[in-house]
Amino acid sequence: MRCSMFCSHISPHLNLSPMIIMKRFSAPISSYVSPRAQAIAEPAARVGFLGIGIMGSPMAHNLLKAGVDLTVWNRTKTKCDPLISLGAKYKPSPEEVAASCDVTFAMLADPQSAVDVAFGKHGAANGMGPGKGYVDVSTVDGDTSKLISGHIKSTGALFLEAPVSGSKKPAEDGQLIFLTAGDKTLYETVGSLLDIMGKSKFYLGDVGNGAAMKLVVNMIMGSMMASFSEGLLLCEKVGLDPDVLVKVVSQGAINAPMYSTKGPSMIQSLYPTAFPLKHQQKDLRLALELAESVSQSTPIAAAANELYKVAKSHGLSDQDFSAVIEALKSKIQHSENK
Amino acid sequence: MEVGFLGLGIMGKAMSINLLRHGFKVTVWNRTFSKCNELVEHGASVGETPAAVVKKCKYTIAMLSDPSAALSVVFDKDGVLEHINGRCYIDMSTVDADTSSKISEAINAKGGYFLEAPVSGSKKPAEDGQLIILAAGDKALYDEVLPVFDVLGKKSFFLGEVGNGAKMKLVVNMIMGSMMNAFSEGLTLAERSGLSPETLLDVLDLGAMSNGMFKLKGPAMLKNSYPPAFPLKHQQKDMRLALALGDENAVSMPVSAAANEAFKKARSMGLGDLDFSAVHETLKAPDHSS
Repeated sequence: MRCSMFCSHISPHLNLSPMIIMKRFSAPISSYVSPRAQAIAEPAARVGFLGIGIMGSPMAHNLLKAGVDLTVWNRTKTKCDPLISLGAKYKPSPEEVAASCDVTFAMLADPQSAVDVAFGKHGAANGMGPGKGYVDVSTVDGDTSKLISGHIKSTGALFLEAPVSGSKKPAEDGQLIFLTAGDKTLYETVGSLLDIMGKSKFYLGDVGNGAAMKLVVNMIMGSMMASFSEGLLLCEKVGLDPDVLVKVVSQGAINAPMYSTKGPSMIQSLYPTAFPLKHQQKDLRLALELAESVSQSTPIAAAANELYKVAKSHGLSDQDFSAVIEALKSKIQHSENK
Repeated sequence: MEVGFLGLGIMGKAMSINLLRHGFKVTVWNRTFSKCNELVEHGASVGETPAAVVKKCKYTIAMLSDPSAALSVVFDKDGVLEHINGRCYIDMSTVDADTSSKISEAINAKGGYFLEAPVSGSKKPAEDGQLIILAAGDKALYDEVLPVFDVLGKKSFFLGEVGNGAKMKLVVNMIMGSMMNAFSEGLTLAERSGLSPETLLDVLDLGAMSNGMFKLKGPAMLKNSYPPAFPLKHQQKDMRLALALGDENAVSMPVSAAANEAFKKARSMGLGDLDFSAVHETLKAPDHSS
């Protein structure tokens, strides 16, 4: 019986029902589960989702659309209403969500929120136990991740850090990239759920590695956006058409999609929020701390970080991170009410 | 169509061979004469001096390494100016706007026609005829030489008055130089934090940051290998010129300034003739450098 073959591979203490597997695993690390273990007939597990913001909302929505049994929570309840109207269940605390689910995802804005939700008052840890899993897809530093992992695992549950690369649109389109680390068993079990929300996933080993990889990626991204901003501004100041610069860049070796997507709106001083500037600056700050911890010089990232700080000080925190270009201008645009 | 070609370095050699392959008659010149031999094997004629080349050809293209070489070829004895009357000069070198203007004025004063046309793209795009050409100056001349540009490149832009092509090129290379440094910092941090830098390359290639430069140069950088497609000394020259442009216009450019410092450091380490990706070496602790 295929089902029992699959079940026998799972660690005995995990009593999660096997997930309905929608796609084949695409992870570069060799799969722990036999490739013949697909098309499971068992009912899907109960999935929780904590944090219904810019990212959490479309991610949860994609899970719902795929037929997942979903329970949500958000600090501001109203953000959950669209999902509830589509059939999601709601519990009034992370603790209750975790208690009623087999796997609980968390998508919070920063280390402090991630910690509060995981093991603060009425936190998820209170509802965790053997046979359950917690997947934190927030972007935090390695130490915070290890802290959360410790609290979750002390209940007997499994933990996976799984920050994502990709912002609002990739989240909506189910095109995120998961950078996971922690319990390999849990990674295998939730693979099909990650495949619903994303286009690829990586398993990177011990807790901390996923967090570090995400910070490195976003460090590069923050620096790239800052240098692109300098180019656009210089262009304009010397009498060239910045739209032409965007076209030229898109034709050559430095043709990042990010530039052609955001360039045109930056030229009009518009920064519709896909990735809030305050989060980009948070990531740069954490990346610089990581660099310091391994005694590495990062002059470009440090210079870029300063620009994001200036932008924040002028009220641009909730604008898209491309608003960093304002930090270079002599007359800085202040935030407008949304 | 007959075309003169001055400067047979990494770019000039690839570009003139490309023209020959597409049926153009090409007369070449290079300061180090022996570099002409390979072009002769491909069917080129040789001019003894820049003046001799210009005398022979209605259109002459130049591809020199920096402002000083570009000026020398035009203004020195036996230079381009001597026979430029009624003829056309297309300078595809990357120089600052002032140098380009100086050349343009001198050419026009002697009855010649001038187009600046620096390119974006290095050795491989030059070989494959996939350059991006950023032209400015004489529009009529631009229209006349489009058949040449179509062979050399995949896209051409006409940007207006002399100086605009030079400036656009500098802005593009400024972004590129900063990006290379950002990339290098990321690769190094990944490695130092115990992550796989190869995995970082895979992740970058999947997202909104993916670009040809990372894809092409990343793997070699991880092996401490920097075969010169675009020499570091030229990249640093471009950053310096871009910063000067920002300086003239009081434009804030802290990230580019930091990138320029890294390239300077790399030059002082003797890495000037390697590919500009060799700036990666500046982040390594002394016992790690190759």
